[in-house]
Amino acid sequence: MAKKDDDFLKELLATFKAEAEEHLKAITSGLLEIEKTPAAERQTQIVEAVFREAHSLKGAARAVNMTEIEAVCQSLEGIFAALKQEAIAPSPELCDLLHPAVDALGQLLSSGGGPSAASEESQLKHLIQRLEEASRGLVPRDEEPATGGRSLQIAQDEHPTPALRPPMADTIRIPTAKLGPLLLQAEELLTSKLAAVQRAAELGQVNAALAAWKRESARIKGRISGGRVRRSEVETLRELVERNERAAASVEAKLASMKKLADLDQRTLGRLVDDLLAEMKRLSMFPFSSILEIFPRFVRDLSREQGKEVELSIQGGEIEIDRRILEEVKDPLIHLVRNCIDHGIEKPEERRRKGKPSRGRVGITVSQKDGNKVEALIADDGAGIDVAKVRSAASRLGTVSQEEAEKLSDREALALIFQSGVSTSPIITDLSGRGLGLAIVREKAEKLSGTVSMESQPDAGTAFRLVLPVTLATFRGILVRVNEHFFILPLASVERTLKVKRDSIRTAENRETIQLNGHVVPLARLGDALELPRKRATGDSADAAPALVLGLAEKRIAFMVDEILNEQDVLVKSLGKQLSRVRNIAGATVLGSGRVVPVVNVPDLMKSAVRLSAATVREAAAPGEKEPAEKKSVLVVEDSITARALVKNILEAAGYQVAAAVDGIDGFTQLRGGEFDLVVSDVDMPRMNGFDLTARIRADKKLSAVPVVLVTALESREDRERGIDVGANAYIVKSSFDQSNLLEVIRRLV
Amino acid sequence: MPTAENKKRTLKERARALAREPKGEAPAGEEIEVLEFQLAYERYGIESSYVREVYPLKELTPVPCVAPFVLGIINVRGQIVSVIDLKKFFDLPEKGLTDLNKVVIIHNHAMEFGILADAILGMRRIALRNVQPSLPTLTGIREQYLRGVTPERVVLLDAGKLLTDESIVVREEVES
Repeated sequence: MAKKDDDFLKELLATFKAEAEEHLKAITSGLLEIEKTPAAERQTQIVEAVFREAHSLKGAARAVNMTEIEAVCQSLEGIFAALKQEAIAPSPELCDLLHPAVDALGQLLSSGGGPSAASEESQLKHLIQRLEEASRGLVPRDEEPATGGRSLQIAQDEHPTPALRPPMADTIRIPTAKLGPLLLQAEELLTSKLAAVQRAAELGQVNAALAAWKRESARIKGRISGGRVRRSEVETLRELVERNERAAASVEAKLASMKKLADLDQRTLGRLVDDLLAEMKRLSMFPFSSILEIFPRFVRDLSREQGKEVELSIQGGEIEIDRRILEEVKDPLIHLVRNCIDHGIEKPEERRRKGKPSRGRVGITVSQKDGNKVEALIADDGAGIDVAKVRSAASRLGTVSQEEAEKLSDREALALIFQSGVSTSPIITDLSGRGLGLAIVREKAEKLSGTVSMESQPDAGTAFRLVLPVTLATFRGILVRVNEHFFILPLASVERTLKVKRDSIRTAENRETIQLNGHVVPLARLGDALELPRKRATGDSADAAPALVLGLAEKRIAFMVDEILNEQDVLVKSLGKQLSRVRNIAGATVLGSGRVVPVVNVPDLMKSAVRLSAATVREAAAPGEKEPAEKKSVLVVEDSITARALVKNILEAAGYQVAAAVDGIDGFTQLRGGEFDLVVSDVDMPRMNGFDLTARIRADKKLSAVPVVLVTALESREDRERGIDVGANAYIVKSSFDQSNLLEVIRRLV
Repeated sequence: MPTAENKKRTLKERARALAREPKGEAPAGEEIEVLEFQLAYERYGIESSYVREVYPLKELTPVPCVAPFVLGIINVRGQIVSVIDLKKFFDLPEKGLTDLNKVVIIHNHAMEFGILADAILGMRRIALRNVQPSLPTLTGIREQYLRGVTPERVVLLDAGKLLTDESIVVREEVES
């Protein structure tokens, strides 16, 4: 019972907190507007609105028994009431008192309602006293707001009528905790959509196989009717072939109709999923203004603190963007605005000296770019950034050498400011100037698949351009293969794909490079950057390999892969709680086939490639290791994927060419179709076990001489004897397995 | 015929008796329920309250750039779960070839991952007083992850410790 009450109370408090935060935001923006001393009529409206907000908050606080918040609201309300009756006039001094009061409310709210220490409690008392003095000092005593009479009147007014509420009839409040999972579920449908595509394709393949079978059977039929074979046999064969044909035709007809239906399903499902997803995403879209609300207050406080005069203008706040992106971008925005005031806007006297208006301007302009992009432009009309200072700061830090710094164009030099550690500020303040901020802004932007760039003119100002995607959830990716591993590369980072001819690779400054449209682009192997072991002499011998040019800000690197498969919608999932952050890997996705594929983290990958390049070239310069003249090929038949991978790795490391099969039937099919020098097989497998497989091999004319090694969990003498009976050459018991005895056995057999 | 008053009193007494917390321990002592599994020819037990589910290992995607004890990731009904090899995590000697085809997914409020196992042996109640604190040398597993060994030689792992161990979490960035 007590637990239930607790839960209820918790929920109630959460609701209150959300509501209270809205009231506080409204009060703050109202106060800021009052400060600008608008026309009398507007002034009355604002005071009225703020008064109601304070009043509603007071009522809500009382309902959840937050007496301190209620008390502060009470005195605030008193002041607003006095303003309303024009008993007192708004003044900067009054605003300076009111802002801290609102802050105090915010603190009380986040600390759970009550002051946590005695000192805070006394501060609170002092604040309330000052607020009441402010209203009392100018208001006739008989209209003192905190008397019982007024409270009584308010108590009757506990539930404000709908008319008093802001016009929000067409919106409802949904906790993000509920909306989030819903969105995830809708996104999950993407997997079903991809699976439907896959199913339809598979049906198509079956269809094609069937058609091939039919052709083959028709060919045989033709040969039979024209051949010189005994009549009775021909009759039997013809009958068989005809029956075969009829069966094939009926299966084919069925398949064709199923394929049609599957295509239809796929299109219907695809459209439903896309629509639902689009609608769900719209649900989580919020106007930019929801994070811009804090800025007027922020700019006011910051510029006052620094003795500067700044006017903030905000445009495009109505543009909507995914809430998850908004949350991520809030801190970078704060940083950029802070940067404008701290480094950009000059002190009033300096501005006057430069012939500029003493009041500086900072603008946040949000605009819709083409397609799925939104741009936030944060601009000031301040001192601008001195390119020379950036050059010297960067070379001082060793980010670039002195000569390199001189060679860079102004634009390239300015981009250096996003590098960690580069700051032009001569002093380190607690605000900015440590040179870390802009690097963090860039990292955040890139994490969101956005970009950040900057333009600056000395004495004219600086503009930061933050380009962000409107939605976050799904993105397009390119599926690539390296050895037997598959990876997804985000399409947004892929500038182009190309074939790299081996003889077009040049080594410049210890790095492998290629020429691309007249530019030199560094070349790396994706497998190397991802620390995958290099396969010996496979693929590398081909004279051209596919590659993808990845671009990030000003940097460009080409990555070679074994194969580029396709481009598709990708739903990125986290790697699970244990893999909190993995080098070079951003997450994973599930393909239509059910296969799990890691998604590459491009910023990480670029860094890894740079770190690697020197080392790999040194390695490549050394002549290749001794290659075995002719590789022996081994088929590993094993149903457990871990055991299969283990045995495969051991054999490959020892220089064998290895193929794998998942059970006896698969193994036998592969043996019939290929050339193998040896078979290593598990015994206990579905469909066909190792004993049966061995017997089949011994009975087959082509395969009878291939050595078979059975690896098994069965330790009994009977099993061992059975293994020998069916014709196995060696019998290794799993519990005593180790790689040296397996290799020893194999070496003796081939 | 009991009066209404009597009835009420009796019912109240019963309610009080039922509401009372059982005093002391049952004669059998404290018991825990464990999921017993086989890994590399040893039997291990893990407290069932930490076990989310057992999942058959069908496909395993290796993840590059992680410690060797992380074998890869699997898709559990749309959720990605990482799978670790306890033998490698505990630095146990590689012994024999094993049929790792089950994943025991363990979790607490903050952590979740899968442990590879050869086979699941079943659920079992184990009396804690029969569990002997084991010397690490006996099992090769560091003491901190161990609750002890049962008379049947089942090694009881401390899932709570495993789940809260920082060294099991992968958290790495590329240094520039």
